[in-house]
Formats: sequence, structure tokens, C-alpha cells
Amino acid sequence: MKLWLGLALCAGPLAAQSARARLEGRVPGAAVPVIDSLVQRASGEGLPTEPLIQKALEGGAKQITAPRIVAAVEVSLGQLRDARDLLVHAGDEPPVTPGEVTTVAWALRRGLPDPVVERVLAALPRPPRASAMHAVADLAAHHFDPDSAADLIIAAIGQGLVRERLLDVSAAAAHELQRGHTHAEALALVRQELPNVAASPKPTRSAVARARRPAAPPPP
Amino acid sequence: MDVTGASDAEVVARVLGGDREAFGLVVRRYEAGLLRFAGRMLGSRDAAADAVAESFVRAYRHLASCREPARLRTWLYRIVANRCKSHLARRPIADVSLDEAPPVADPTDTEVELERAEQLALVQRALVRLSPEKREAFLLKHVEGLSYEEMASVTGERIPTLKMRVHRAREALLRVLEGYE
Amino acid sequence: MNAIDPRVHQALDGELSPEALSPELRRVVQRLVTTAAVLAAQLPLASLEPRVMALIRRPVPSRARRLLRWVATPRSITFRVRPVWSLALAAVVALLTLFPVGREGPNIGEHEGIAQFVGHFPGAQSVHVVGSFNDWRPGSIALEDVDQDGVWRATVVLPAGAYEYMFVVDGERWVPDHLAERLVADEFGRENSIVIVRPARR
Repeated sequence: MKLWLGLALCAGPLAAQSARARLEGRVPGAAVPVIDSLVQRASGEGLPTEPLIQKALEGGAKQITAPRIVAAVEVSLGQLRDARDLLVHAGDEPPVTPGEVTTVAWALRRGLPDPVVERVLAALPRPPRASAMHAVADLAAHHFDPDSAADLIIAAIGQGLVRERLLDVSAAAAHELQRGHTHAEALALVRQELPNVAASPKPTRSAVARARRPAAPPPP
Repeated sequence: MDVTGASDAEVVARVLGGDREAFGLVVRRYEAGLLRFAGRMLGSRDAAADAVAESFVRAYRHLASCREPARLRTWLYRIVANRCKSHLARRPIADVSLDEAPPVADPTDTEVELERAEQLALVQRALVRLSPEKREAFLLKHVEGLSYEEMASVTGERIPTLKMRVHRAREALLRVLEGYE
Repeated sequence: MNAIDPRVHQALDGELSPEALSPELRRVVQRLVTTAAVLAAQLPLASLEPRVMALIRRPVPSRARRLLRWVATPRSITFRVRPVWSLALAAVVALLTLFPVGREGPNIGEHEGIAQFVGHFPGAQSVHVVGSFNDWRPGSIALEDVDQDGVWRATVVLPAGAYEYMFVVDGERWVPDHLAERLVADEFGRENSIVIVRPARR
């Protein structure tokens, strides 16, 4: 079940066609045709188009100038291509799934070095790998050495932990840091606990009762 | 009839006599302390609200088994303490929750407010590092102001055991707070 | 393990007057008293009375309904179930979640979860969160500061996944989430925060 597909819709021609409709009125007019052609190109290469559309919408919302929005979308397209190349190099048979391209693009954007990403891909031969990637990136964000971070997550995978439970592993290591341990100690402590790392608390009933869905967008 | 000045025993008698609405007075009287206790035990405002609300409902449904209505307060703390223990057994506090996150500096904050909030965050973080038994003992004794006899009713433990827990809690807290300096 | 002088304990237990202590020991007593005083601050929460009384006024559900509600409530189930049974259990849970049993709030789908956004913006008139979960539409998700303490919150149901976002304060100031520990360059010279929404039911 591709839970992480979320916004990364299938990169078919239908998705690409709806790009213009979503961009018009939200992005400076001058940028729309250029971005649309970038989206078409991505679609043609089998890459996800949603990240590009989101980047454009983001630029529009932040009131960025047209040329800079286009530049940002081009950068995003480059990132998607890098991600796809990495997946192919790691052994994923083409066509690589758009969902996995998005996942690896996240990992690269969050600063994980290529070899580390490849190690995680090797440890999880089949998707989904999003949680594993984010878990390693979370550790790197806490200044754990990326290779050691990958070691821990790969060890967790080896002990049968999957998907969101891997995020619990990185959370546990970060928690040990907060309790005053060094990075090395934190990794060792959590490693010892595997596979029985504390699960993150479920949302409380009060939180669930309060939860709302985002307001629907106005009709076009 | 205005019951706001009535004693706990009187209010309990009224509720057991059929005046359901009088239970609201019990809630108003004790919610602040119970919420504070649960909040400090669980490290989360939301979890505390859930725990205390459910405890009140449970207290209402089992009111007839409150053996000494004059000691209603102690009985309520016992229900909440047990609820907190079950909650913590299921999910140990991984971190101070977002509810109690330390404030972000903002130029419009007054110094006093910021400092007070930071102090609380620091102390709450230290408290969370105590074991649940020590945390509970410290909170009941020093924050909720129960006597050792009352604490024995709440926890079911003997007084010498509770004294030892409170002493160890004090030592552990001091150690942690000094470690932050 | 640093034991405290027993006289400090005696003073705090009311068995000894603090005046009988040396200045140094009195300082230790004061430290703990201050710590307790800080913790004695009441939690800024609305009264529970309406919620409790509403629950009390509700008719007590029969045992059967209570059992149904227990099974339908999302929780992490850690007991081991034989594979054959787990299918049956899943079928029962799936069936029950089609018929919400008196729970408040939205029904959360199988691939959805909850994101809680919190920001400290005292003096703000409005705070919104904008990100890839709402097509970066400013104004579609407003945070609230119910008790006017400068802490703004929103709890949102979203499909499980990773999203980028920022806060928008007073409709014009774009700020990353200081409490989020994940940041990523936005390609516009600033940084977005990242939230990972986990399925609520797992």
C-alpha cells in the first residue's frame, strides 16, 4: 500500500494536463507556460509532477517573481532526475515508481549523501522506503553522522521494524540526546533496545475531537 | 438551592440522593488541582484533560463506593493517580510534549513572563526524568500539599515507603536541576 | 548518589524548623520549595465541567455498545494474533469504523493521520499554516489561541505523508516552525519546516 503517495499522483498525461488549471491565478501569468512545459517534460520522463506543481504554487503564495519561481521549479526537476538516477543505480528496475522518486528526492533535499541513500535502498529492496529515509534524515538533522544513522536504521530493519516504527527509532535516539547522552551513547542505547523501542504516543482523544480538515479550496 | 458553600459530604449526599447536577460543584472545586497533578505527571495538558475528565465520570458512577465522603478529595486523587499510572504504563513519556514546549523568544515578551515560562519548562523537564513513583510522591506532597496519611490513602503504600520516595525524589530533582546549570 | 543532609528532609517534612538549619542547608530547602512553587502554577485549561456533565448526562451504554466502542477506538494493539484471526479482527474493526460509535470529531480514514501545529506568537492577530497539504493556500488552515496566552494551535486531519510548510503571521510574515526539528531549503532563499503525518490507526 503506497501510503506515502499522498500528493505524488501518478505521472500520467491527465495529471500534467491539470497543471495549468491549478497554476492559473496562483502563479504569475508569465511563468505559467514555462512551468507547464517543465511539468510536461517530467511527465514524459515518468517522473512525478506533483512536487513541481507544489513548488510553483509555493512560489506564488510567497509572492516570488516569475523568473525565480521558474528557476526553483527547474531545480526541483533536477532533484527528481537525480533521485531517479540514484534509484536506477541502486538496482530499481525502470520504470522507477514516481512515489519512490519523491521519497529519494526528499532524502537528498534533506542532505543525505548519495552513498547513505544507496545503503538504505539496499537494505530495503522493495518500497515503501519513505519512513526509513526520513528516519535517517531525522538523525542527521540532530547531527548524528549519516553513516552511523543509517547503521542504526538498517539494524532496526534487520530486527523486523518497518515503516513508521523506524521513525520511533530515530525519535528514541534524539530523546537520548536530550537526556544528556553523547551521539555515540545514544546510538548504542537505542541499538540495545531494538526491537522494543518506545512507540510514539497516539493522538489523545481531545486532539482527535479537535481535529479539522483543511477548508476546501474555492471553486475555480 | 445554592450548594456552593456546602461541604463535600453534603454534596455527595445530594448527588446520591438524585441531584445529578450537584456533581458539577465537585468538578469545579477540584479540577484545578487534579489537572495540575495529572499534567505534571503526564507531561501533557491534553492527556491531563482526558485523564481527569474520565476520572470525574468514573467518580460519579462509583460515588456510592466513596467510603468517607468527607475525604472526597483524597478519593479523587486516588482515581486520577491510578489513571495516570495506567497511562504511563502504556506509553512512557518520550519527551516533554508540545504542550509544554519551551517558549520561543519574541521581542514582545516581557522578561518576567519569559523567565517564568522557561523556569517552568526546566523544572517540568527535570520532573519527567524521575520515575513515576517518585514523581507522584513529590507532586502529591509538595505541589498538591497532601499529608503522608492522605498520600497513603491515595497510593495504597505505607507511610515509610512514601517518605523514602519523597526523599529520593528531592535528591533526584536537585541533582538534575544542578546538572542543568 | 548525593544524599541530602537528613535535616533538610526533616525541615521539608515539617519535623524541624528551617531556622534551626545552617544557611547552606536553608538554601537547599529553599531550592526545593521554589521548585515546588513553580510546579504549583495551574494549568491554563478551560473548565472540564461542561465536558464531564455532558458525559454524565448521557445514558450509560449497554455492555454490548461499550465493547463495540472499545474495539473501534484506535489504539496500538500489541498482543499477538494468529494470522487467521488477524484477518477476522481486521474485518471486524473495518466494519465497526464504518459506523462511528458516538465519538466526537472527524472520522479518520485508514490512510490519514493528525498533524498538530503549535507556534508561539504573542501579539499576533492571526496565524495560519500554509504548505503542500493545502496547495500553499494562505488562509485555509487557521491556528487558534483560545486562552490568549500567545500560543497558537491547530489540529488537522491529513493523508499520511511528508509535507513542507510555514506559518503565516498576520497575513504577511512567513515564519518556519521553530518547534519542528526538520528543515529543508525552499529554493527561494528560506527554509520550510517538514511535518510527517503518521497513519492514526497504526
